Order: sequence, then structure tokens, then C-alpha cells
Amino acid sequence: MDNLLHNLEKSPVKDVRTVLVWDLFVRLFHWSLVILVLITGITGFLGEEWWLDYHVWAGYGIGGLILARLIWGLVGSPYARFSSFIFSRAETLRFFKELLRGRPSHYTGHNPAGALMVFALVFVLISITISGLIVLGGQENQGVLAGVVPYFVGEVFEEIHEVLSFLLLALIGGHIIGVFVESRLSGDNLVRSMVTGTKESASPDEFKHSKLKSAFVFLTVLAVIVGSGGWVYVALAELPPNGLIKMTVNKTYATECGDCHFAYHPSLLPANSWHKLMTGLEEHFGEDASLDKDVSKGLSDWLQKYASEKWDTEAANNLRQLDLKNLISITATPYWKKRHSEIAKAVFARKSIGSKGNCIACHKDARSGRFDDQQISIPLNQKEKEI
Amino acid sequence: MSKPVFMLALTGLLVASLAPVQAGSARTSILEKLQKEAGTAFSAERGKILFSSTHKGGKPKTNSCTVCHTKSPLKTGKTRAGKDIAPMALSKTKDRYSDPKKVAKWFRRNCRSVLGRECTALEKGDFITFMSNL
Ligand code: HEC
Ligand code: HEC
Repeated sequence: MDNLLHNLEKSPVKDVRTVLVWDLFVRLFHWSLVILVLITGITGFLGEEWWLDYHVWAGYGIGGLILARLIWGLVGSPYARFSSFIFSRAETLRFFKELLRGRPSHYTGHNPAGALMVFALVFVLISITISGLIVLGGQENQGVLAGVVPYFVGEVFEEIHEVLSFLLLALIGGHIIGVFVESRLSGDNLVRSMVTGTKESASPDEFKHSKLKSAFVFLTVLAVIVGSGGWVYVALAELPPNGLIKMTVNKTYATECGDCHFAYHPSLLPANSWHKLMTGLEEHFGEDASLDKDVSKGLSDWLQKYASEKWDTEAANNLRQLDLKNLISITATPYWKKRHSEIAKAVFARKSIGSKGNCIACHKDARSGRFDDQQISIPLNQKEKEI
Repeated sequence: MSKPVFMLALTGLLVASLAPVQAGSARTSILEKLQKEAGTAFSAERGKILFSSTHKGGKPKTNSCTVCHTKSPLKTGKTRAGKDIAPMALSKTKDRYSDPKKVAKWFRRNCRSVLGRECTALEKGDFITFMSNL
């Protein structure tokens, strides 16, 4: 079919007609994708940590769009099908030679360069989506893969996710340049085509194509994939996050160590540090926090049992590297300092916060040890609120 | 209502209505013990001075009770780590000075932090007396 199609297009112009090239699905797909990629780009490159939800939801949206597009590429309208823009190597080479001479042949659908771009974009977008899910599951203990991906894998994939994102930026740049170049050379306004769906073309292509059948097959395949994928999704999502262990509640800890500051989660310091801290309560950060021997022994055992070594969360993994001059401080660790380096001293001094160690003022989930990006919000001062 | 349930409810009510009285009697017994040890009558005036003064000998960042409790015991204070502390005055925080273990623990800790030593029975009694008379 596609051979016929291209031969017809390359025949000399007979009568110029308006043809529908990009069906409604393709156009909706294209512009929805543009919006979602913009959202992920802005939230990913420029956004604050607590915008993660928007980033993730846009990412899920992109995944869904690509899935739908892949199916449509097999069963959709003629120009939407991959088969209509899979070209032989010879044809692709010839096209590029013509392009260099400034007189490329005209294609109603994608030309070989555009086709390569489409496949590259789809491939990179799929890879970004999957790597994003792995980062989310590994680093943040969130999403479908929270129960299966260890932290360090998430960390590796964060790099991959980033590199791929820059690659996508480059591809998008190339895509836009390509569209303008082709519009110039061919006289078609390709941007408008992607809105109206039509092109002026000398193509008497008569496709035997049933919209109804396409839509039916598309919906059936989509339903089967989403349905069966849904099972896997639910099964995976029900696994407990693999970095977080079950911990016995310790009421004594909450009262004895929650009087002066919120009770720090045991995962925030290694066992050795807890031991050291608990044997030095008479000199506790410039105060006496002494306890009866038996009470402090019980707490010390509990803290060491659930110390950071036992957890695979972002906080536990990173805070394990201590400041060698202050082995019992969380806020002195290099990671803590780095992550909070952009927060001014005056912010910590706010009435609503009080000190660096008051994690719970800014991290709503500090008690669980999760420190999720979405749970960060820096409270304002009473006065600042009024302004 | 069956008889045992009724009795239970009545007892519950009685206990609930007696709670402040119980706190009061617990406080009295704490003060009585301190009184026996101190031998001298307590003075709210001395308690006020103890509370308000800047002391030497303690830890440098906590040289006065007012560092955390503010100058007025009627106000909500703040720990150095940023957590609120309910007012020290009994009129503001009803259950203050009624749990002997808690009282002993905090006098031990905070006297060491502020004065660099444990407080005497007289100092403790003065302090509670001051806080009870506000
Ligand atoms: C008498 C008050 C008091 C009590 C009781 C107390 N702490 Fe602290 N703790 C402090 C102060 C003050 C700091 C310094 C906080 C700051 O500078 O923000 C601190 C800091 C810490 C830190 C380091 C936080 C950081 O900034 O890195 C840890 C960990 C800690 N405490 C654990 C404990 C544990 C465990 C207990 C229970 C045995 C406990 N604390 C009981 C007053 C107390
Ligand atoms: C003044 C508010 C504030 C306080 C107090 C605070 N943090 Fe944070 N924290 C932040 C902000 C804002 C970020 C995000 C920084 C960024 O953009 O990378 C952050 C990031 C983090 C992260 C990385 C989270 C992630 O998923 O990227 C961890 C872990 C963390 N904080 C732990 C702590 C601990 C432990 C404490 C208490 C000892 C604490 N923070 C106290 C504001 C605060």
C-alpha cells in the first residue's frame, strides 16, 4: 500500500486537492503531547521539589498518549500508520541527498527525515517515561515501582532520566527546525496542517479505509492492554514500598524525645550515632537531656534496632554519611547542608519554624521518615502572612 | 441502665470531677516533701528572682529560665529546637507540678543546664510557689 502511495505522490502534479492527512486522533495526540511535555519540562528542569506530583501526572499522561499512539500507528487512518512512513534505507538516503540539494521530493504524509524524527521522539519519550517510573519507585518510594526498585537503582536511573531529557530537548529543537525547513521547501504550512489536519496536495490517493473499523479495533486493543496492564499495576502498587520497614511504635520515645523537639525518626542516624547520642544525654546540644538509666537503655536499643542502616529511603541513604566532627547531628551532615543551602538563616529563625532541627515545620511527613518532595512546604511567619 | 453499669458510670463521673483536685493534692504532696527537706518557708519572691535572673555556671546558651520560657511565665515559651512550651504559670497550664517524676526530671535537667548544678529543695519549692501564685 505504501509503495503505491508514494509513487502516486511523486507523479507530476495533476490536480491540487485538499486532503485530510492528519486525522483527529493524530492532531489531538500531537498537541496534548506538546502540552504535557511542556509541563514535565518546566516542572522537571525548573520546578521546586514539591511540584513533583504535577511532573509525575504529566509523565503518566505522556505514557498513556504514547501507548495510544502506538496502537493507532497499527490500526489508525492511512497516514497515521507506521507502515506509511517506514522507508527503505535507499529511499531515506536519496531523500537526504535531495534535501542537501535543496529540492527534496514531496510527501503527503511524513517524509523520511520526519519519519526518523517521529520514531526517535517516540523511542526517547518511552525511555524517559520508564526511567522516570524507576526513579520515582527507587528514590522516592512512590508510584507503581515503589515495592520493587531499590534506592541505588533509582539513583542510577535519575542520571539516565536526565540525560534522556536533554536528548529530548535536542530532538524537539531538531523537530521544530525540520518543520520550518520543510514548510519552506515544500510550500506546505506544516504547523497549520497539524491543526486543521489538511494539506494541499496533488494526490488522488483513494484509500479504502473505514474510520469506524479503525476506531473499533483501536478501542478494543486499548481496552485489552489497559485492562491487563491494570492488573499488573494494581498488583505492583499493592506491594509495600521496599525501602520502608515495619517498626514497633515506641510511646516512651515519642514522649521522652519529643519534649524539646519533634521525635526524630530512627532512620535519620546510624546505630553508632544513636548509641553515642544516648550515652551523652547530659551534654545534649548545649542542654541537659538526661534520663533514668533504664529508660535511656530501652530507647537506645530501640533506636539502634531501627537505625538508618535498616532503611532504603532517600533520607536514610543520604544522611548516613556523617559530619566527622559531629557524629550525632543530622543537620551537620553534608547532604543535609547541601539540600538546605538555599534556605536563608532568617527562614529557620521564623517563629513558625524556630530552628534547623525542626524538620516537621517544613516536612509534613517527617514523622514517617519519608521526607517526600510533595510534603515540603516552608511555613511563613505570622507577620508575613498578613502582608 | 443495669446496676453495675450505672455504678461504673457514677464512679467515672466522680473520678473525672475529682481530677483537678487530685492534681492539686499531688502538687501539695510534692510541695510538702520539698518543705520537709528545705526546712524554711517558701517564697514566691525568691522564686521570681530564680526564674528571671541570668546565672553563671550553667551551659552558655541556657543561662536563664527565660531563654526558653520567655520573661513572662504566663506566655507560651519555645525550646531552643523550636517547639512550643506551655506557659509555666499554674493558672495557664492546669496540670503543672503534679507528676512527681516529671517534676524531678525537669528540675534535674534544667537546673543543670541553667545553673550547672541540681537545684536545692528550697529553690524548687520557691519556684513552684512563684508559679502557683501568678
Ligand atoms: C531538654 C531538651 C531536649 C530533650 C529532652 C531531647 N533533646 Fe534532642 N536536642 C535538643 C536541642 C536543643 C537540640 C539542638 C536542636 C537545634 O539546634 O535545632 C537537639 C538536637 C537533637 C538531635 C540533632 C538534630 C540536628 O539538628 O541534627 C538529635 C538527633 C536529637 N536531639 C535526639 C534526641 C533524642 C533521641 C532524645 C531523647 C533521648 C532527645 N533528643 C531529647 C534538646 C533536647
Ligand atoms: C525551613 C524548612 C525546612 C526545615 C526546618 C527542614 N527542611 Fe529539609 N528540606 C526543605 C526544603 C525546602 C527542601 C528541598 C530542597 C531542594 O529544593 O532540594 C528540603 C529537602 C530535604 C530532603 C531531601 C528531600 C528530597 O526528597 O529531595 C531531606 C531528606 C530533608 N530535607 C531532611 C530534613 C531533615 C531531616 C530536617 C530536620 C533535621 C529538615 N529537612 C529540616 C526545608 C526544610
